[in-house]
Amino acid sequence: MTIGVLVDLMLALALVGLSLRVVTGRALFRDIVLFILFGLVIALSWSRLGAPDLALAEAAIGAGLTGALMLMAYRRLVAGGAEDVAPRRRPPLLAVPVAVLTGALVALIGLAALGVERVPDAAGTIVLEELGASGLGNAVTAVLLVFRGLDTMLEMAVLLVALLGAWAVLGEVHPGRLHQVDRRTPLVGALLTTVAPVTLLIAVHLLLAGTDAPGGAFQAGAVLTGCGVLLVLTGTVRPRAAAGLATKLLVIAGLAAFVMIGASAVALGRAPMSLPGTWAVYLIETAMMLSIAVTMTLLFARARALEPERA
Amino acid sequence: MSSAFVYVLAASAVFGVGVYGLIVADHLMRKLLSLNVMGSAVFVLILTVGGATPAGPDPVAQALILTGIVIAVAATAFALALIVRMFQETGLTSLRGRDDDD
Amino acid sequence: MTTEALALLVFAPLVAGLVVIAAPRRAAAPVAVAALLTLPFGLWPLTLVVWRGETVQVALAGFAPPLGIVWRVDALALTMLWLTLVVVLVVSLHALTSFPPASESGQRFWPLWLILIASVHALFVSADLFNLYVTLELVTLAGVAMIAIGGKPAAMRAAMRYLLLGLMASLFYLLATALLYGQTGTLDLYQVGERLDDGALALIALALMVTGLLVKAAIVPLHVWLPAAHGKAPGPVSAVLSALVVKVALYILIRLWFWSGGAAGGDGAALLLGLLGALAIVHGSLAAITQTRLKMLVAYSTVAQLGYVMLLFPLASTAAFRAVTFHMVAHGVAKAAMFLAAANLLHALGSDRLQRLVGADQRHGVNVLAFALAGVSIMGLPPSGGFVAKWMLLEAAWRQQGWGWVAVISLGSLLAAVYVFRVVALAFAQPKGGSVRASVGARGGGRFDTTALAALLLAVLAILLGFASAPLVALIDRGLPPGMLP
Repeated sequence: MTIGVLVDLMLALALVGLSLRVVTGRALFRDIVLFILFGLVIALSWSRLGAPDLALAEAAIGAGLTGALMLMAYRRLVAGGAEDVAPRRRPPLLAVPVAVLTGALVALIGLAALGVERVPDAAGTIVLEELGASGLGNAVTAVLLVFRGLDTMLEMAVLLVALLGAWAVLGEVHPGRLHQVDRRTPLVGALLTTVAPVTLLIAVHLLLAGTDAPGGAFQAGAVLTGCGVLLVLTGTVRPRAAAGLATKLLVIAGLAAFVMIGASAVALGRAPMSLPGTWAVYLIETAMMLSIAVTMTLLFARARALEPERA
Repeated sequence: MSSAFVYVLAASAVFGVGVYGLIVADHLMRKLLSLNVMGSAVFVLILTVGGATPAGPDPVAQALILTGIVIAVAATAFALALIVRMFQETGLTSLRGRDDDD
Repeated sequence: MTTEALALLVFAPLVAGLVVIAAPRRAAAPVAVAALLTLPFGLWPLTLVVWRGETVQVALAGFAPPLGIVWRVDALALTMLWLTLVVVLVVSLHALTSFPPASESGQRFWPLWLILIASVHALFVSADLFNLYVTLELVTLAGVAMIAIGGKPAAMRAAMRYLLLGLMASLFYLLATALLYGQTGTLDLYQVGERLDDGALALIALALMVTGLLVKAAIVPLHVWLPAAHGKAPGPVSAVLSALVVKVALYILIRLWFWSGGAAGGDGAALLLGLLGALAIVHGSLAAITQTRLKMLVAYSTVAQLGYVMLLFPLASTAAFRAVTFHMVAHGVAKAAMFLAAANLLHALGSDRLQRLVGADQRHGVNVLAFALAGVSIMGLPPSGGFVAKWMLLEAAWRQQGWGWVAVISLGSLLAAVYVFRVVALAFAQPKGGSVRASVGARGGGRFDTTALAALLLAVLAILLGFASAPLVALIDRGLPPGMLP
């Protein structure tokens, strides 16, 4: 048994253990934190499985963003007087057998699938052969933007719909209610002046690197959201009652860029969703990054728009 | 024993745990946590059953997972907005009780 | 021409949705209306091609499968696109009044509405398993958001339950998609069908996928989310959810079964699906009969009517396919009419409790008439689209000597008659004391507005489908599933 397998086994055990705690725990706050930890362990598993793009995405989105959203929602529930600790209830009789059976069935399927011989002309193999023609070095980015751009375009629509849905159920917005930390606290000032620019740099790097190396619009957008979350938590920005034109344009930018380029290909006599060149990839990815960051920050802040706090 | 083998077993167990949580959990946020746990398990399974190329895991499978992760966080964000508003309107954090109203 | 036409169907509503978000409020109505009015121009060129018996195919970004995604329009897809067009246009007419685009509520409604239309189009034309997953998520999420749009607690609860179950179902579907991809190396529906063997692994993958789709299609016993979700949503949303959104899952299921080798599941699995359908018909109808609220009654009727579609799997003949496809159209039109009429009555009476309907015919005659006409089609009485559909289905079952199915189809119509007549009888009943209650009907009044017109228009169409069934049947016949019994 090699060290590698030992690491795998430890990660696997951690995954199962953490998921059990997350699901069966009774103190919500602690379990959300454990869920974030679970996400980080998944990210490690991705890198062990040779998928650094996914490791980055999972750490930033699966663990980071989802965790931040959960914690913020938790805070709002508790601020409204919700109980943190759930009363102990007798679980439904069939829950354990159903869960065990499902898990066993999935394991059986998964193990059987491991033994399946790979089709020689599988889509993934062709992607690697055609990668040169796409002008990109990162096969995953090429699939997302070039070969299966329609999926990614519609995925941006999903994100937009999530925001529109959240706006529809927003109810009253209380301006200034998000103020969490006093900006005069020395550490906070340092955070803002150093961490914010650094995250910005990381995001841009991820975006540019993503065409050839691990990274891309999603990872960059998630990191940039971190910046936004920081601004919200430190009270540097506060909710506004209505979204202005700038906010709306930022929110729709990713989908709009995709739609315009994808549809204009038809007017030029090419197949829909054809990209006119590598520049289009950069354009769409930049727009996507901005839309993801603004959308997720607004979802986090539970706001229609944000404006600088006048100190 | 390969890495894939270990992770298939772990992901299957995690999937089962998620199903358990979805059935048992009362608090909507915990149901949502369970769903996200299930989702992560599915994503790991996609990579392992999606096959591998000489250059690593299948890039199409990876792209599917990336898309899945973003869809999951979008749905989660909307669900949380719904949970918070429901709590503000009714004081409830679960789906227990009757549906009727005027 | 066909490439442009297809692109128009997906992109026009999407662009309009984006414009409505960003543009000033007063621009919302003209932009939305303009986009909606372009849709027939997208559908017509496609119809001409499919009518010749051909299939429209567009490889997106020029990459053929397995590398890329294909849009494919055959007769089945085109039939569903026509249903979408008719329902969406008329329901939009209702929404122009019930959610005025320049108002606060309209600003929430219209972007979601337009994106929903684009995603339903993208779903019906997609021939890619994973792309179908994305569009299905998009349709579901937009649907859920629109249920909750008013912020009423009951609607939000219903939306929440729908969302949780929908997300779980999606995970099943997604896992199955990955399994199929692992075995066949492709995500294209038709290539999967060609490459898939009928080994145990393939069958399990299909079973997982079917289970996920049955949840999304609300087939008994996985229907628990539907009644409240459809019953508590705003009127136009209820209409489009019942007429279209819930059927997209059935559409994928039919594709999977008859085009992608799902039938490899065997007669036993087909029988099981049929039995679930029979159960849905009986349970949904009985539940509808016992409801005390109009919109919940209509929602349970949807549970029952979806069951008929499931009878296609055990019958598996072209006759049954024709009948079931026709039924999806006929039910879509009639149910949209019913929900609009019910929502109008709810709006006018202030409540949709059935007792409040007493005497409604005198003040809200148009809506009661629309409900009754749509009811004729739902019951399957001649002359109506519902009658043609159920008659064809009966004939198909009869020809295969499926007496059990014949009995269930007949029973379903009988039970439907009970719940429809219950409503109509109440609406025509004399109020106690002999006079129309003046206290109710505070809002709306009896005037003939576009909301009532929309309900009536769809109801009349539901009846007309019975007189003019030939073109629709001819269209369906141009794209029968491969290798089916006559």
